Amino acid sequence: MKAELFIAARQLWHRKMLNSISVLGVMLGVLMLIAITGIMRGMQTRFLGTILEVSPHIVVYDQTLAVPRTVVDTLLGGVSVTHVSRQASSDRQQQIARPRETLAAIRTLDGVTAVAPLVVGSAVMSVGSKELPVEMRGIDPMVQDIVTPLRGWIVRGSLTDLNAAGDGVMVGQQLADLLGVTIGDNVTCASARGVPVSMRVVVLFSSGITALDKGRVYVAARLAQTILGRGDAIDRIEIRLANPDDAPAVTARLEALFGYDGESWQTTNASMLSVFVQQNLITGLMIGAVLMVGGFGILSIQIMIVVEKRRDIALLKSVGYSSRNVLTIFLVEGIVVAIIGAILGSIGGHFLLLGMRQIKTVSGMGFNKPSTFAIYEAPIVYVLAFVFSISVGLLASFFPAWRASRVEPVDVLRGS
Amino acid sequence: MRVEGSPALEARQLVRDLGDEVKTRILHGIDLTVAAGEFVSLTGPSGSGKSTLLYLLGALDRPTSGDVFVDGIATAKLPTAERDTLRGERLGFVFQFHFLLPEFTAVENVMIPLLHRRNVRQADAHAQALAVLATLEMHEFANRRPNQLSGGQQQRVSIARAIVHRPKILFADEPTGNLDSKAGLAVMEIFEKFVRDDAMTIVMVTHEPSYAARAQREVKLLDGKIAEIVVPTHKAA
Repeated sequence: MKAELFIAARQLWHRKMLNSISVLGVMLGVLMLIAITGIMRGMQTRFLGTILEVSPHIVVYDQTLAVPRTVVDTLLGGVSVTHVSRQASSDRQQQIARPRETLAAIRTLDGVTAVAPLVVGSAVMSVGSKELPVEMRGIDPMVQDIVTPLRGWIVRGSLTDLNAAGDGVMVGQQLADLLGVTIGDNVTCASARGVPVSMRVVVLFSSGITALDKGRVYVAARLAQTILGRGDAIDRIEIRLANPDDAPAVTARLEALFGYDGESWQTTNASMLSVFVQQNLITGLMIGAVLMVGGFGILSIQIMIVVEKRRDIALLKSVGYSSRNVLTIFLVEGIVVAIIGAILGSIGGHFLLLGMRQIKTVSGMGFNKPSTFAIYEAPIVYVLAFVFSISVGLLASFFPAWRASRVEPVDVLRGS
Repeated sequence: MRVEGSPALEARQLVRDLGDEVKTRILHGIDLTVAAGEFVSLTGPSGSGKSTLLYLLGALDRPTSGDVFVDGIATAKLPTAERDTLRGERLGFVFQFHFLLPEFTAVENVMIPLLHRRNVRQADAHAQALAVLATLEMHEFANRRPNQLSGGQQQRVSIARAIVHRPKILFADEPTGNLDSKAGLAVMEIFEKFVRDDAMTIVMVTHEPSYAARAQREVKLLDGKIAEIVVPTHKAA
């Protein structure tokens, strides 16, 4: 191997200008891989991180999964071949039965770290002549803070204030601005079925998600039940898991055990996750194309060198170098070009990401907090860049190397 | 298959056809034996088959029929890898166009046949190459690239490369063809010294009658056949 390395190194150095072009091709491929992966994965990671922070990992709704029996089924006392085109909604209030026992049972499941009961409904919040629709969430503030950490959003006031005040409400900063209220001000809230209640703003929050900051309010569960006319019903349970990736499996288990409709965060955000899959596919194709271009650079330059070096190859073979020795020389050259390209591309990619971290931006997708570019940078990306570029170098140089190994010295000598 | 007590080189009924669809017979059943330590020249007009015969004798090419025995080893059907090894260990080559690798210095060019051997360290190969260059009075040019050397110096380096691994047989294909008379004469003196001092076997193709006459035997080829084998009078005496 020492002879092959010695010859390959010298040949590479001798044609440094030409080989620099190959190196440049690989370098650009690796740089693209690191930069695009860094940006795309960074954006996805930040989005998922935010989603997992502000959303529960699983939501259990008050909808039962069993198919409701029709009037005909009931009358005939068994299974009937009937088709009900429209069944009027029942007047009976949907709710999670025996919520205390259900919550306790869910807490015992493997992987569940926190469980919070909720009452959720639509209401209208008004101050003077200003009225705005809001999504009202009746919570146990301290418990809810474990499931979907609210504490980090708070701009003014505290969860203790919300917990202590019987008539307290936690309002999004943007909603407060629209209504023209602040801490200590009174607002009135009413729903179609409940009783209008006057409340006091005790907490202002800013989640960074416009939809929440403009349209959601948190109150104590008992107060929400009154405003929404729900009696003592609990219509939603939110769950936090030790490992968010387990959500689909735990959801399936919950549905089987309790018969209520459950939804994992992956299902809730399925459309966005599918966009990520497509993004990753497009990113992969782009990076693959750039690396392929780099590979073609190596291929074309290596072919040129092999044609040019036929006489030298013939000489090497005449002094006892085997086809395998010659093959190795040109493979080593391709791999060395790829490694140098990968090293330079990695360094360039790292500094590019460092630079991008400094750029101020406002993330899209409903986030309203000004931020810098979300960048993902992990050793595995660099390892992958090396693996890909060395594979490309190996593949691209194989054909020229094989051609070189097939050179018959006598053909060259006759030609000379 | 190795035959004990055999000559250094033997060609038996050597036939070589060239061309894919239209075959042209270049060599017509050549029989030739070269003893160990003998200096043989191959001469003849262009197209007589001198170089083709040399490549066959040097296991660089395979005959259409017949066989070549190098040191008793039949080479015609020898697997490629074993032929490579045979060339690398027992044979040396000097070509008209020196074929020095332009990226390497003179001493590195001479090292090349040694480097792919498993038991030779780079430092040892370097020392050995320098020693051989010194015997050819080229040590002061050891670190020069081929393009910094004259034609005669380049050919000396290529001779050093051909003998650095101490081959038993040296094949030279018109080694003086590209040199002036002084440099050509110097190459001939080197070859004669190898035969005299090291008992090296040399087979040399040449167009130059005066150089051919310095060999112990001159094999004259014509139309792919041995036309005549001449032993120069001064050698016969």
